[in-house]
Order: sequence, then C-alpha cells, then structure tokens
Amino acid sequence: MTRTTRAKAPAEVEALCDLPGAPEPTDLQAPIPADIELDGETPEAILELFAKRGWGDGLPLIPPTPERVEAMLAAGCADRDTDEVIATLPPRNGLATRRLLAVNAVLAGCPNGLLPVLVTAVRALARGELNLRGVNATTHPVAPLTIVHGDAVDALGFNAALGTFGPGCRANATLGRAVRLVLLHVAGAQPGPGDASTQGQPSKYAYCIAENQHESPWESYPRSRGIAAPSAVTIHCGENPHNFHDMESDVPGPILDKAASVMATLGSNNAPVSSAEFFVVLGPEHAATIAAAGWTRRDVQSFLFERARRPAREFRQAFEVVQVRPWITALGDDDAMPVTDHPDNIHVLVAGGPGKHSCVIPSWGMTRSVTLPIEP
Amino acid sequence: MTTQRIYSPEGLIGSAGRSLAASPELLSGRRIAVLDNGKPGAAFLLSELAARLAERTSARLVGVFAKGSAAMPCEDDVLDEIIETADLVLTGTAD
Repeated sequence: MTRTTRAKAPAEVEALCDLPGAPEPTDLQAPIPADIELDGETPEAILELFAKRGWGDGLPLIPPTPERVEAMLAAGCADRDTDEVIATLPPRNGLATRRLLAVNAVLAGCPNGLLPVLVTAVRALARGELNLRGVNATTHPVAPLTIVHGDAVDALGFNAALGTFGPGCRANATLGRAVRLVLLHVAGAQPGPGDASTQGQPSKYAYCIAENQHESPWESYPRSRGIAAPSAVTIHCGENPHNFHDMESDVPGPILDKAASVMATLGSNNAPVSSAEFFVVLGPEHAATIAAAGWTRRDVQSFLFERARRPAREFRQAFEVVQVRPWITALGDDDAMPVTDHPDNIHVLVAGGPGKHSCVIPSWGMTRSVTLPIEP
Repeated sequence: MTTQRIYSPEGLIGSAGRSLAASPELLSGRRIAVLDNGKPGAAFLLSELAARLAERTSARLVGVFAKGSAAMPCEDDVLDEIIETADLVLTGTAD
C-alpha cells in the first residue's frame, strides 16, 4: 500500500474535498511508476510517443512528469490515498486511482486544483446505473457531459455563463478533456476496439459546463436531487446539445414548446426508449421569463412531459425494436405518446449567458445520469 | 538529447478478460439455445442459424431466450435458465 502525506492544499480546495457522502477508502491499491522515458523536451516529442502507443486524443499534451503529477495531487487531494482504487472502468477494466487521474489531468492541461472534480466525475462514471460499458461500446455517438455545480464553479474558475459549452475557459476545456483521456486510456474507449461509435461527435473531445446558479431562479440542480453539499458534479451521457431559440415570447409556453419540439424528434435514441432522460439547459433569460410567470422547475418538467409528444402511431411506424413501459404499449395509435414516460426523466438547469438560446441534450437511452458531491 | 521520465496514462487492469468456454468436440445430441440480444433481426437470424446447425449435426434447438435490452447485460435469471437448459448458446448480432 502506498499512502502519501502531502502539503495542505489551499483552504478553498480543502473545503471542496471535505464533503459529506464521500465513500470510505477501499483496501485495493494500484500504484504506478513513472517508468517511461520521453526523449526530448519539444512539444512534438510526447505527441509522437503517444501516437506510437495509441494514446492521446490527437491534440497537444503536457508531459506527466512526477513533479507535475505531485503538484496536481498536492493541490487537489492532499492527505488522501493516492493509490487507492476508486473505480474500475469498462470495457478495459482499468483501475482508476487519484494518481492515475492526476496523470491524465496533467496531460489534458488541467490547472492544479481540478483533481477533486475529475475524481468525482470518474466515481459517477463508474456507477452501475450509468452503464459505462454500454456508453463506451455503442455505435451511438454518446459522450459523458460533466456539469459542475456549486462553490467549485467560482473557486476553480469554471465558466457557467456566456459560452459555457464553448471554448475559452481553461477549467471547462481541460476538465472535459481529462474525462475523455481517462475514458481513452483507463477505460480503453479507443475508437475501434473500445468505442464503436459510427461517427463520433465533437463532444467526445471535451464536454464540460457549469451550472449558472448566480442567474438561476430556482434552487441548484443538486439540491433538487437531494444533494445539499456545497459542490457537486453531474454526469449525463448524451448527444451534443440541440439548440432551440425563442427571441420573442414573454411567457413560458411558447419557449418550452420549442424545447418540446426538439425533444420529440424521431431521430434521437430516446425515441424508442421510454425511460430515457433529457437535460434541458435553459439560458438565464429564458429561465427568468419562465420563473417570472411563477413557474417552478417542476412546472417546467411537467409541461415538457405533456408537450413532448407525438401520435403513438408515428413511434410505432418508426421503430421495430422499442423499450417502453407497459402503459405506453397500451396507448392507442392516435393517442399522444410522451417521448419519455415520467416528468422526472426531464432534468432542468440554467447555464449560459445573455441571449435567447437554450438547448436540449437527449441521452443515449440506456443510461441514467448521476450527481455526486465533490470529494477527492 | 534530454530525456524526462513520465507516467503511463493507462494504469493497471483490474481483472483479466473472461474467455469463452471450450466448444464441444461433437454437436450430435447437444442442446442448442438462442439468446436474442435485442438487436433488430437477431432472433430471426440466430434461430435460423441454430435450426440449420441442429439439422446438420443432429443437435436439438431447445429454446429462444431474450434479454431485456440490447444495451444492458443479460439478466442472471435468464442466464441461469440457459445454463440449465442448453449445452451451447448462439448470440451476438450487432447493428
């Protein structure tokens, strides 16, 4: 067993680490040595080495030297067991430890301090209901979306506002990329042998946003899920965001009808799976208009459940193989069939900045999102 | 040339992959089952294959089983029933 005592991290990072709900350490250890010799210090040297070994995502990488990895561990998981196995990731069944995650965080360019977020994201990926084996193996383009909530957003420099899904913020970009590198390297989700995605999708490079609680009219998303920790991470395995816009409406209905229209597409994997989840990420202006009419998050969920429907006949004509609840099977052909079988499958939160745009993120279908308190 | 030591990004593997059980040397008299994995056409294709295999080898097709979802592992009770019922099982069509 390797247990290393490290220098204390900054107080704000320590505060994020010491949260309720953190699982007890396991006895399983997986120490790794820094035993690869990298010839040369040019940026091309590590790219060439990784290309030869089938590693990396094709983009430039930061060499994970012992010094950089130690600094990442010290800033994010001080006094924690660096070699404790915190997750086993399929299909490769790679053993994820804090040190190994720090290695991939360094490779991705993460600033020191992000490691607790990555550790929590990986714990979420390993939860059974998320079905990581299926997520990695499917021909669907699904990618895990990491959503950061709470105090960690400001403390660690995540962008929850304008352009949260886009480029320009190191924390969003590198944390999302680190999650992908962990999937490629530790889980073995390499296109071909470990990832059968027919076309892939851009969010397989990096897919990380933050909840804009400062501009949300409702309680934080984790609190709505019963998690009262100061900071949390959600993983939702889904498609790229499907934008919808409404520049004109000053009442909720027309705005959310556009969201419902996007949700009810026959082109999504959610269409033949009735229990599938949707994330509806509202821009602050849409959320403000909806809340100003007195609508709660639950009202939004209920409205979308009622409105995201098509005649059952259309679903039945479109799909031979379906996985639906018995009560949906009992609907008549002309009945309005909901695209998902319960309002709880519709998850609503606020992210983004000024403007009249929001988005829907359908899932892969056979996966459930996971929200966990941040802990190392 | 300057060299620097770095970590591998892969780490260790938790458990070795499982291998398939050895195939029986003779199929004559054996019990063949089909596990429909839920992919379109899987039950038809696999059942036809099993029927022709049985016909050629004097084996018996004893049942077509289905798991709950193409995207999830087969349920334990279905696997237990297959184990009790059959000597070999055909499965595994894809998109």
